[in-house]
Amino acid sequence: LSSVPLQILLYINGFYYIFYFLATLAMIFYKSQVFSYPDNFLAPDLTLLFIMAILEALRLYLGSKGNLTEEEAPLGISLVITVGSVILSVYFLVWQTYVLKADVIINAILLFTYGLESVLQVLAIAAFVG
Amino acid sequence: VAKLCTCDLLVAQCDVNCCCDPDCSAADFSLFTTCSVPIVTGDSRLCSQKAAVYSLDVKANPPERVFQLIDHVNPSVFCIHATNYKQALYFPSPEMPTPENFDELFKKFGSAAFSAEPESWTLDSDAPNPSDANETYRYEYGVPIQTVDGFLRLPSPVVSSWCSDANPAGFLVNQATKCIRSVSVGKCGNIQAVSMLFYINSSILAKLHEFVFQVNITVQSVVIQSLNGMRTLLNSKDVLRHPMILDELCKNVVLGVSYHITYTDAGEIIEAAASFVLGAINKEALSVQQSFEISFTQVNTKPIPLSGNPGYVAGLPVRAGFKPQKYPFPIAVLLSSLSTNAYGQLTILQSTSNQDCLTAQGGRTPVLFGYNMISGCKLRITAAVKCQPLTQALLDLLKGQSFPEYVASFGNSQAENVHDWVPIIHLQNSEQRIYNTFQSSCQIPVSLEIEVKWTKYGSLVNPQARIVNVTATTTTTTLKQLPSGRERTIPILSSVVFTDISSPAEPGYKAWPTINAKLPFDFFFPFV
Repeated sequence: LSSVPLQILLYINGFYYIFYFLATLAMIFYKSQVFSYPDNFLAPDLTLLFIMAILEALRLYLGSKGNLTEEEAPLGISLVITVGSVILSVYFLVWQTYVLKADVIINAILLFTYGLESVLQVLAIAAFVG
Repeated sequence: VAKLCTCDLLVAQCDVNCCCDPDCSAADFSLFTTCSVPIVTGDSRLCSQKAAVYSLDVKANPPERVFQLIDHVNPSVFCIHATNYKQALYFPSPEMPTPENFDELFKKFGSAAFSAEPESWTLDSDAPNPSDANETYRYEYGVPIQTVDGFLRLPSPVVSSWCSDANPAGFLVNQATKCIRSVSVGKCGNIQAVSMLFYINSSILAKLHEFVFQVNITVQSVVIQSLNGMRTLLNSKDVLRHPMILDELCKNVVLGVSYHITYTDAGEIIEAAASFVLGAINKEALSVQQSFEISFTQVNTKPIPLSGNPGYVAGLPVRAGFKPQKYPFPIAVLLSSLSTNAYGQLTILQSTSNQDCLTAQGGRTPVLFGYNMISGCKLRITAAVKCQPLTQALLDLLKGQSFPEYVASFGNSQAENVHDWVPIIHLQNSEQRIYNTFQSSCQIPVSLEIEVKWTKYGSLVNPQARIVNVTATTTTTTLKQLPSGRERTIPILSSVVFTDISSPAEPGYKAWPTINAKLPFDFFFPFV
């Protein structure tokens, strides 16, 4: 009784996140060449991007494991990590040093995916508990 | 964006083909052919921004300017949606050096080269310096002097000789202009530009852009010039005289204005005075020539005309003076208190039209730097002249009443610096060889030659003239006794020669840069 939509979404999210990570990294590189991007603004942005990548990997693994083994604990931890990821995504959407239109688009899609996943995870936990 | 205009270059005047110039009226716009600046935007990399679009609608008659404020959208997907870094799209304003941060700035930027990317970006460099607020309010050299309604105007000829009122007076820029004002027939009372009120009407702002402190222009003196050119100074200067028509003449027409502005060294104007020359013109006259002048004096100083700053300028008088006797206690020497003439200049004899030395009025002309001069007169000697008085009279004639002892080395030498003044060396020369030593006959000076040796001083690209040596050579000749009844005429000469003794310049170059590559002391550690 694992949730199939959740699994599909997690699977797609994995690929989309790889694209997101490479795109954001490439755009930061582009911004640092075209605009004036001093080091003390560049460092936080890159650090947060790598932290987000690690959190995302963890989140997808735990979410997928929890869903397939029908256990609430990993799903719960995954949900908590999702909150962190959402905050980081909002950072890249609003508080980054330079927010390009492309940044806005990919972060919006990511947030939408996170929203959908959170809902499905909550439903899955409800299903597994009850 | 609506307030920005890159083509508005002239102050208070309409620039041609500049559609965003606020000084242009609708009549001016109808004369333009195109708009040189069609669109004014911020950084075009932003996703959406306001843009001011200026265009000329040529189909309307007369053509009019169309101004629109539109939203300019950048279609690229990499346009900047937002930035959280304040200095992102602006040039950083450089730090103003103050006594506190001067050492640090000198360390960073004081050497021959410094890297374009500083080691650390300071986040608070976009805060406006509090000292800027005071800086913008002081007048600087060349800045137009502001009055309550516009600028202090010094009418001057533009292109042709007709007066144009659009020439603002610049701060500390001494100007003198002459131009012709057109006066329409019979209406001289109505023309503003020939009445005194026009020139003292508006008050000058003491500080730039600050309307709180205003300085009224006072009338310093009024001189009336009659039709035959004679000028008389009026005693009452408080009465404002308006042009009025009286028997075919239009009286009290302004023929000249001379402004004297007093300023402080903080860039503030504290006093302004105007001296007028009023005259009368024929009622039917079509034009009148006006002359205008403006000069600036610093408060609490007496203006001494300098002959150069620092080197002498060719054509300006050579400054000279005396040194008062030294008292037992050394006191600062005041050289300009007693001088050759009132202005402290070196002078030589001036030739007059009748060329007779003894009847010459003693007119002297100042020696101008760089101009060799020669002058003289003829001396008629009869048998009755006595030697000693004649010698004394000729010496007075050649050297003047008080021949100076020192000449200023630079055009701006101050009286207090003794080393800036060069002593005049006096030499005696005798024209005829003296054959016998029992010389009892009279020696009279016949010529005075002043030789001024000067050199070029200072940098190669801007050499300054400096006087190094001044020699005054007096040549005497024997006066033979004449048989009575006979007359002799001797020419008396005085001349000034300027010689350039500058040594050829040696350009100084920087040392070649060397590669400073040395191995560290313990490079070959294990083996040494």
